[in-house]
Amino acid sequence: MAQNIGPNIATSSMAPALKARPESAFSAWVDRHFKWLLVAPAAVLILALSVYPLLFSMWVNFVNYDFEIPGHDFVGLKNFTDVIGDPVARGALYLTVILSIINVAIEFVLGLALALCMVKMFRGRGIIMSILIVPLFICPVIVGQSWALFLERPFGPADYVLSEILGHPVTVSWLTEAPWYYVSIIIADVWQWTPFMFVILLAGLAAIPPHLYEAAELDGVSTVQAFFYVTLPQLAPIILLAITFRLLDAVRLFDVIFMMTGGGPGTATYTFSYYLYQVGFQQFHLSVATAGSWIFLILLSIVITVLVRRLLRAEKA
Amino acid sequence: MAKAGRTRAPLQFADLLRIVFLGGFVIFVLIPLYWMVMTSVKPTSDYLTVPPVWFPAEPTFVHYTAALFSYRGLDGLINSLIVSTAATFLSAVLGTLMAYSLARFNTGGQHLAFWVLSQRFLPPVAIILPIFLLFRTWHIYDTRGGLILLYTFMTLPLSVWMMYAYFRQLPKSLEEAALVDGLSRWQAFWMVAVPLAAPGIVAAAVFSFIACWTEFFFALILTSRYAFTLPTVFRAFLSFQGAQYGEACALATTSLVPSIILGMLVQRHLVRGLTLGALRG
Repeated sequence: MAQNIGPNIATSSMAPALKARPESAFSAWVDRHFKWLLVAPAAVLILALSVYPLLFSMWVNFVNYDFEIPGHDFVGLKNFTDVIGDPVARGALYLTVILSIINVAIEFVLGLALALCMVKMFRGRGIIMSILIVPLFICPVIVGQSWALFLERPFGPADYVLSEILGHPVTVSWLTEAPWYYVSIIIADVWQWTPFMFVILLAGLAAIPPHLYEAAELDGVSTVQAFFYVTLPQLAPIILLAITFRLLDAVRLFDVIFMMTGGGPGTATYTFSYYLYQVGFQQFHLSVATAGSWIFLILLSIVITVLVRRLLRAEKA
Repeated sequence: MAKAGRTRAPLQFADLLRIVFLGGFVIFVLIPLYWMVMTSVKPTSDYLTVPPVWFPAEPTFVHYTAALFSYRGLDGLINSLIVSTAATFLSAVLGTLMAYSLARFNTGGQHLAFWVLSQRFLPPVAIILPIFLLFRTWHIYDTRGGLILLYTFMTLPLSVWMMYAYFRQLPKSLEEAALVDGLSRWQAFWMVAVPLAAPGIVAAAVFSFIACWTEFFFALILTSRYAFTLPTVFRAFLSFQGAQYGEACALATTSLVPSIILGMLVQRHLVRGLTLGALRG
């Protein structure tokens, strides 16, 4: 086809004649509705697997839908009050919020530090880059599993290594002893997602025009000052983008909990996703879990609205 | 930030700090992976020794055969391959079609594009209950087909937005020339735009594949005995704490090799993939 383009542009008066071939009734129809035809398949799939389920669950919210109690009677707000009145649900919500904030904060600081270390060229940078991004391609289930194996006594070598380093015996049960199970979960999450922050912030750092630093140096600004007065303000929109993306994933924390602690001991490490999984798919109170997921969704959409609005404003500026 | 010269001593200290920090983090990244790979080839007798065995004297592959055959790891692997490949293909096709329409005709204005993007931020737990019920009524619970549909949906925002960003970078002039030339809009899309966008499509597809390959939550709930994927096989090692360290590690190693290789292949596009095309690396 490509070779036809050149000569025919020159004689574009030929084009209408070419178009008006008799078999083009269908193709003319396709051309007229082309943009909607392209969008249709994907839109239908999203309607079927996201909009329809959400509408369906609106109904489930207000009826009894439980594998233990037959029938779908209207129950009003009972499903919602069940969740709100459940101390486990509240605990899970608090833990989700706190863990998400801690995880994202640590990942941001470490990711920024890594990005600052990696922004200049040096020998071996390529190989270090490749190693640093490996966790992004690993299944979270495996991350949870391998950290559990590394940490947990008596199999894991973590306590032995710490004993050697600290010079006195360490006998921490990383997955069953407070507060170490929180530490273990944070370690696994930080291990997997710090590279995410790092990669995005590195791209942001590399995009800062060098003349800003040259100007700062001419003004006699120190490296630390340059960081606070040049790097951070220039990086701000990217930081917001990275934190928004990461935070919205962090609140879903499930896989690592499932593999490392199973929510335990007791319900100490229930995140909200894990709580809903337990209620919906282990106890089969489907309508209660649905109401819980709507509460989660509403809380989350408030966060999304605030963050995304900021993000759009930052991008315009 | 600038080149060394004025003050040597503090710069050397900064360099040292940098090396220590980078080195420390590289060790942090590698150590659980190293322990996992080594455990997968360790004989069972090396499991509980003090000090721990960092490198087994007699490596063995018995755990690999056990994990793949006794624990149905191979079935999971095959299911994962089929489901991920099919979903990736569908997602690339549907995503490219939609992205082209959004980028070239501004279809539905910003609303349609953001509606698709919002699906990316929808937590799986918010839709899984109704989807579970629907899959049962549609008789696609625990089938590969059902999972393929869901994974296609799951990766659509990524495909659409990465390709949207890509198409907007491509010049319109070639397609316009093709239209003037008498080609239909479909031909201009298929024969001019798609070949030009091929590198972007491949990159987006690889990210979709990795997302499907590592997905756990949907697979956990929507499959059981038949269509289970590789990540869900790890459940088998949870209930019997103790003896199956080697099998679990062998399966984990098997699973992460393909996704790491693919990830390295698209390293250049990583920033784009992680931000759905919002940032160019």
